[in-house]
Amino acid sequence: MKLVDVMSASGLSMYAIVALLLFVGAFVTVVILILAPGSAERHRRASRLPLDDDSRPAPQAGSDNG
Amino acid sequence: MSTHVDTFSYDDAIVRKFLWATIIWGLVGFLAGLLIALQLANPIFNFDISWLSFGRLRPLHTNAVIFAFAGNAIFTGAYYSTQRLLKTRMFSDGLSNFHFWGWQAIIVAAAITLPLGFTQAKEYAELEWPIDIAIAVVWVAFAINFFGTIARRRERHIYVAIWFYIASIITVAILHIFNNLSVPAGLFKSYSLYAGVQDAFMQWWYGHNAVAFFLTTPFLGLMYYFMPKAAERPVFSYKLSILHFWTIVFLYIWAGPHHLHYTALPDWASTLGMLFSVMLWMPSWGGMVNGLLTLRGAWHKVTEEPVLKFFVVAITAYGMSTFEGPMLSVKSVNALAHYTDWIIAHVHTGALGWNGLLTFGMVYWLAPRLFQAPLHSKKLAEVHFWIASFGILLYVAAIYSAGITQGLMWRAFDETGRLAYPDFVETVMQLMPMYWVRVVGGTLYIVGACIFAYNIFRTWQARPKTYEVPMVSAPPLPAVYVDEHPAPVPAGAIARFTSAGWHRRWERLPTLFTVMVVVAVVVASLAEIIPTFLIKSNVPTIASVRPYTPLELVGRDLYIREGCFNCHSQMVRPLRHETERFGEYSKPGEFVYDHPFLWGSRRIGPDLARVGGKYPDLWHLRHFEEPTSLVQNSIMPGYRHLVERELDFDGIQARVDAMVMLGVPYGEAVRNAPELARAQANDVGARIVEGGGQAGMETREVVALIAYLQRLGKDIQQAGGVAAAPGATP
Repeated sequence: MKLVDVMSASGLSMYAIVALLLFVGAFVTVVILILAPGSAERHRRASRLPLDDDSRPAPQAGSDNG
Repeated sequence: MSTHVDTFSYDDAIVRKFLWATIIWGLVGFLAGLLIALQLANPIFNFDISWLSFGRLRPLHTNAVIFAFAGNAIFTGAYYSTQRLLKTRMFSDGLSNFHFWGWQAIIVAAAITLPLGFTQAKEYAELEWPIDIAIAVVWVAFAINFFGTIARRRERHIYVAIWFYIASIITVAILHIFNNLSVPAGLFKSYSLYAGVQDAFMQWWYGHNAVAFFLTTPFLGLMYYFMPKAAERPVFSYKLSILHFWTIVFLYIWAGPHHLHYTALPDWASTLGMLFSVMLWMPSWGGMVNGLLTLRGAWHKVTEEPVLKFFVVAITAYGMSTFEGPMLSVKSVNALAHYTDWIIAHVHTGALGWNGLLTFGMVYWLAPRLFQAPLHSKKLAEVHFWIASFGILLYVAAIYSAGITQGLMWRAFDETGRLAYPDFVETVMQLMPMYWVRVVGGTLYIVGACIFAYNIFRTWQARPKTYEVPMVSAPPLPAVYVDEHPAPVPAGAIARFTSAGWHRRWERLPTLFTVMVVVAVVVASLAEIIPTFLIKSNVPTIASVRPYTPLELVGRDLYIREGCFNCHSQMVRPLRHETERFGEYSKPGEFVYDHPFLWGSRRIGPDLARVGGKYPDLWHLRHFEEPTSLVQNSIMPGYRHLVERELDFDGIQARVDAMVMLGVPYGEAVRNAPELARAQANDVGARIVEGGGQAGMETREVVALIAYLQRLGKDIQQAGGVAAAPGATP
């Protein structure tokens, strides 16, 4: 008996429902975590990370010679 | 907490290297695009040279702009931003340089092998197996370097841009490996492990996710870093960016089957692909809004800062193409748009607008910082912006109308119920004015890119003698995680869950995070792909379908070498105008020996699934010599070299052997493939002479290709096959 036969006979229609539930569950979890009270400050700090780098200010153009 | 502070510097030399590679390969890729646009407007631009023909250069164009231009742009931005976001130098300068030189070597190998006709015939995965292995090695080096950098970071929180990079690195690796699994039949020839429907499914799972995880997620990472930098304010909503990330990662991977609507793919799979594609619209627009609203209170800066102009139009183009994508994935829209230029217009909104303009903006922002000199000319950057935007507009508007025009002409019936435009070439001629407008639009885009290259070159010329390497200091991370800003733990189970100390911890653990991304990608892939591979009812077999003869097999390989699939589909959809025009619609069972599948994605010429027996052998010979001698106004280039070159009969055995390894039942051909091929070639040669053609064709490559074409669609007409629908004879 080949794997194909096993898979064909195993009635996997429930599989789609399980996948759907998993995905909805993951989505709901992410939304809850985002909206969780007290997370605002953490997100505000995280969002400033790109601006937190002052390693090299861009040279200013003295005059535009274009 | 430790009071010790580390002092270190960032590696910007590697960023400069990737930046130059981006500019140079960008110009190469755009010029290749211009050449193939000219070839469609007038076939004389094929120059009658085999390695300059459209079929061979089209993959060169797509590979150059995706992997060379966009690829190097991703690495430029990722190497710059990752070091700064994680407050550490790259894990290994040696690995960074190996990544750079390895990637450039792969691009050069692609630029040589694709025009020579070495191809796997799968879109954006054309490169042959030795190069595929090199890609995997270089990609793994990049991954080690990247994850090593994360491990050594001095900033606990991993910013959302890095999440997008992680997802891209992981997913591209998975896609690349699984789609390219093949059995070699020589140094530059291989056959896909999968056949027919399964190969098509695998390919478009890869193809669509190449768009997702090579052209979308890494660029979103760049957007989430460089947009706040250029606007000098944080992203509009960090929460939205988290939602954007997870929904994109969860949804994208399912969307691939929308490339195969109305084909022999099982219906459930294409419906699934359509639904997930429509759902993708929401997170995509969430991301667009998030990017644009980062400019809140700073819109006045857009008028004076070309970098922001590029970003605004790039993000708008992202929004437009991610609205259009879901729309095109709806089956009824797809029935009109599939195989037409509409798709070409769609991808160019994304590629020229989103990827191109975002890259230009990023490089304009980076150049003064990397070369430590002011940008040579802001005015030239402005000129570039307007020329490029106008070029995109011309390109896209022309090609949209070309696509819709041709789609409508294909499906038009006259009042007697017959096809209004039965000659395929009529529908092609209608597009010529639009093709010339595209040439103008593309040229403008290239002029803009030349101005861009000049501007960056002049900026580089003004660099200091030696680059200053500023030292940065940051405290190292404590070995054990300490929450520096502990939130009070509320009472109650739900409140404790939502206060989510575990999630904060989890976000900071890259390994676990990476595992989650892998799970999201793999679960989706398996749920969609496994049933097609392992459930019999999805690919019903047809008794009369037999493997190709050795000569037909080598003819098929020539069809692949010349890139015929770039213009000709082999998939008749079950739509009335298609069965009327081409013959009975294609069945999944017809393709079980097709390693790789050759369904094609664009009909610049007619479908060939039922071409077998439609014309005499001599017709094909003359048509290859000079297509316009038989089809007036045809834009197909001549293939005289097929008539001149000798066929390598002795090489056939290795190809048959590779097919046997894949489980194709070849019977007696296992031992004497060359003899069988010679016998069939003699028959074709004799028929050509009989029809009044020249003698001596039986040793030339062209006989193999003719034998293959004459076989197409014949199997199901034989006894034991599926009964042909009435009135649908090819």
